[in-house]
Amino acid sequence: MTENILECINMRLYYSTRKGPVKAVDNVSFSLGKGESLALVGESGCGKSSLAKAIVKLLPRNVDTYKGQVVLEGQDIMKLNVREFRTEIRWKKISMVFQGAMNSLNPVLKVGYQVAESLLIHESISKEEAQKRAIEALRLVGIHESFVERYPFELSGGMKQRTVIAMALVANPKIVILDEPTSALDVITQANIMNLLKRLKKELGLTYIFITHDIALSSELADKIAVMYAGEIQEIADAEIFYRKPFHPYSQKLMASVPTLRTDKKLEFIRGAPPSLLNPPPGCRFHPRCPSVFDRCSKENPGVFDLGSEHCVKCWWFEGSGEEK
Amino acid sequence: MKENLLEVENLRKWFGLKKGMFSNPLHVRAVDGVDFSLGKGEAISLVGESGSGKTTLGKTILRLYEPTEGKIIFKERDISNLDQKELMWYRREAALIEQDPFAALPSFFTIHRILEEPLIIHKMGNIQERRKRVYEALEQVRLTPIEDFAPKYPHMLSGGQLQRVAVARALTLDPELVIADEPVSMLDASVRIEILTLLRELQEKMKISFIYVTHDLATTKYFSERLFIMYAGKIAESGDIREIISQPLHPYTQALLKAIPDPDPGNRKILRDIPPGEPPNLINPPSGCRFHPRCPYATERCREEEPLVTEIGGHMAACHYADSFLK
Repeated sequence: MTENILECINMRLYYSTRKGPVKAVDNVSFSLGKGESLALVGESGCGKSSLAKAIVKLLPRNVDTYKGQVVLEGQDIMKLNVREFRTEIRWKKISMVFQGAMNSLNPVLKVGYQVAESLLIHESISKEEAQKRAIEALRLVGIHESFVERYPFELSGGMKQRTVIAMALVANPKIVILDEPTSALDVITQANIMNLLKRLKKELGLTYIFITHDIALSSELADKIAVMYAGEIQEIADAEIFYRKPFHPYSQKLMASVPTLRTDKKLEFIRGAPPSLLNPPPGCRFHPRCPSVFDRCSKENPGVFDLGSEHCVKCWWFEGSGEEK
Repeated sequence: MKENLLEVENLRKWFGLKKGMFSNPLHVRAVDGVDFSLGKGEAISLVGESGSGKTTLGKTILRLYEPTEGKIIFKERDISNLDQKELMWYRREAALIEQDPFAALPSFFTIHRILEEPLIIHKMGNIQERRKRVYEALEQVRLTPIEDFAPKYPHMLSGGQLQRVAVARALTLDPELVIADEPVSMLDASVRIEILTLLRELQEKMKISFIYVTHDLATTKYFSERLFIMYAGKIAESGDIREIISQPLHPYTQALLKAIPDPDPGNRKILRDIPPGEPPNLINPPSGCRFHPRCPYATERCREEEPLVTEIGGHMAACHYADSFLK
């Protein structure tokens, strides 16, 4: 067993609104081994991006509750103050590729400078040294040195996305959080970026947290997969188990709604819509849409049951089959 | 053989760019010579990457764009040069469902008014008849209870419900042809299947001819019979969907199929063999076959001579070497 590089314990992130707190991340725990990739999947508005932002402490102003532990290599980084977090953790240990980041490149700055910028701010090194490392990061993602002197408008979509990945890698982080890294790209470009991410994982021993709503795509990187629904993780399973047959009714429904190219299966959809996170349903949050609901589901929030080999399911049906966590 | 509802012959749509005083005028050749036909009650899918011209083709067929060249024959009438008055007839027969339901529906109208608008424009029925038709349309897309939905405004509905309204609006005039341009790409995965299933049911029940324009090849086989793959303004390959998936004859189709994963834990262990590069600029497209700069099999002939669409193994492909990929 590999040692855990990252552990999140009972994370909560609520946003305050005029109507009350929005429970975007509610009591989420998971652990991640070194060099392992975790795919975080779920419908939009289920708290995937909020969880990622809670891990790197990039919070908006309207935070209501921010609690829990994030243990990085044995150190609880939630306890660090803003300055310590910025100088020691963010970009250097954990970096992030934001959703749509390729469209947020500064149009008036050269690509090389934008990649080197985080080094210039966080590390006391010379401009030449930073430039050299930026070139190296760009080379890693397959962009030629000559592009250092170019501006973002001269780059194609795929190259912009590569640049953003280079920015995340330039400070040699151990963990990279990828929030929908290919959502605006074409299928072939997307496949090329996936190839790149796989290669980088192998060469640099990176640990990924890969956020996506596309389950077929998640299987490109995931060693482990966590399904989120209404701010909670409903199931965490090994890829080998999950993509063959998930256990939680929500995961099963989600898998049944994925169109496949090579096999024939009947497509299903989940009736209804995800609940509001202001006022989530009592008991299990999925119970109003669940096909196998029974009376206990609407009354008590199910515990998380560990079915062995780190396969955890948050559903009353598995009460007898595993240890409650 | 089924009767054809729509025939498109050598259709081109070029967009003019601002020209310099001494230079030749430049054009973006968004659609550059497309031929196809659509049977009555048939559903086809038009697949391509962004910038391949699939949306322009759809909108040109609907005469939302003026075609640069070519014929669009609908019910044996050439509609490529109808005047505005005659176009009103075509507008009743052919409808569009757009990608973004949040932008497609006017926010200051109630759902009832949104659905009534096409009937008012085409001066159909009196107030009671129009109300009846609006209610029917809401029933068809299953926005029930109707009384609850009709007086609402778009901001009160979810994305999936809004897309149902957009579908209902397209159907109020009982069209024979519906073009849906990426109708589900803005929606969540499970809602996508719900809307596509609804579209398919309505298409079969009302015998509508349907063109599903999308970049998502995986969904096409569930919602249509025939597939057209577009690349750089031209059709690269077309035919029965299952045949194309099992035996793609154009190298572009092969790359596209390789690039799309099915959920499988084995995927993380393999690198995909995908051609590098991105679709060409359509102002100055590559000579010969437009895919040749990215094609792993390209030869001198591909650089010089443009391949014609030919029938091979039951479907059509525009590649000089298509027969060599035949199994």
